Amino acid sequence: MQSAPLNFRRAIIWLGRIVLGGIFIYAGYSKLFTPNLMTQSFFMLKFSVLSNLSNFGQQVRSYHMLSESGVTFVSHFLPPFEIVLGLLLLIGWRLRIWASIVTAILVGFITVVTRAYLLGLQIDCGCFGKPEPLTGWTVVRDAAFLVLALLMTVFAFQEARQPHPWSASPTPTPAPPQPS
Amino acid sequence: MNRRSSLALALTATFAVAGSLLVAAPKDRRANNTPAAPAAAPQSIAVNGVADIDPTKAFGSKNAPVTMEIFSDFQCPACKQLFTTTNQRVMENYVDTGKIYLVHRDFPLPMHAYSRVAASYSRAACHIGKCEQVEQVLFQNQEQWEASGDVKGTVASVLSPAEMKKVQALVDGKTLEPLIDRDKQLGQGYVVNQTPTSILHAKNGQSFPVVGFVNYDVLKTFLDQLVAQK
Repeated sequence: MQSAPLNFRRAIIWLGRIVLGGIFIYAGYSKLFTPNLMTQSFFMLKFSVLSNLSNFGQQVRSYHMLSESGVTFVSHFLPPFEIVLGLLLLIGWRLRIWASIVTAILVGFITVVTRAYLLGLQIDCGCFGKPEPLTGWTVVRDAAFLVLALLMTVFAFQEARQPHPWSASPTPTPAPPQPS
Repeated sequence: MNRRSSLALALTATFAVAGSLLVAAPKDRRANNTPAAPAAAPQSIAVNGVADIDPTKAFGSKNAPVTMEIFSDFQCPACKQLFTTTNQRVMENYVDTGKIYLVHRDFPLPMHAYSRVAASYSRAACHIGKCEQVEQVLFQNQEQWEASGDVKGTVASVLSPAEMKKVQALVDGKTLEPLIDRDKQLGQGYVVNQTPTSILHAKNGQSFPVVGFVNYDVLKTFLDQLVAQK
């Protein structure tokens, strides 16, 4: 079977998968393994990851939106979840589900980032492991990611309902009449 | 001839000395009219291979098996969190029990408008023996003085007028500024690029940088391991 040509819809889906998948993997990885990474022993590695999560927890705490248990949950759950989501986007398996979840997460991110920006909180955004002051640029960047995620999700649903004729499953051709 | 030459030599020497005294004299008088020149920076000490420690900003036993340097900025929220939570418990359980020698280093970041001023007041307070009170009040009221810029008022709230006068004199005299600059240089030497950064020095000479906020339970596992090292 020949693959479908790369029209606008498919190009956006590909772009979203590669860009957002890469960003989500990097975001999760950097929260787990930076700024501390001591690899001399398993103990050191474990300490490094826990201290990085503790550091990320402080960034989550600085938004003043969650209780202490909420901070602990988000700081320990989000980084590995970001990596898994990023990988699933890149793989493309059941894209509509993961694209929808990524979009929902980005809606959450932009909501808290915009709120913090409007409140004038001088905090690190906690987007990646590297400290990064929360500014208007952070809001604009997250908005761009959200637009891409939305387009990817909508197009992924459209693609599933109206697949390109070339990529649709072939209709069975009638068997040639057998000579009697 | 010899007597003449000796006389000439003696006269020349006398004029030279007198001339130099005359030239030097106005300088001395000018010096008396201007504010006192900054005194030499107070002596720093070295403990467990860690040099340039201001003893007024260090806590615990010098014979402790682990030395912990904390580079922090008074205006950074993560530093506040570290000092008001983790550090309090480290002080109680490791510093007061002689297991850790804790050194506070100033690392005011240029992005914070008042952190250098806060570092100056804190350093001065340490030099009059009021280190913990002033560090605590600065961290606990970080949001307030960050918004108002009133570092001096915040510091004054935990000192008597006489103590505040001494602190203000030290801040105005700028004699302790080299110590803050030295801390900053040391941090840059360790490639500190965010605050707080803690450097843990074990007895065997190994050093471990721990960047960012770390909660006490996580740090405790590491401290116990280091303290137990022979």
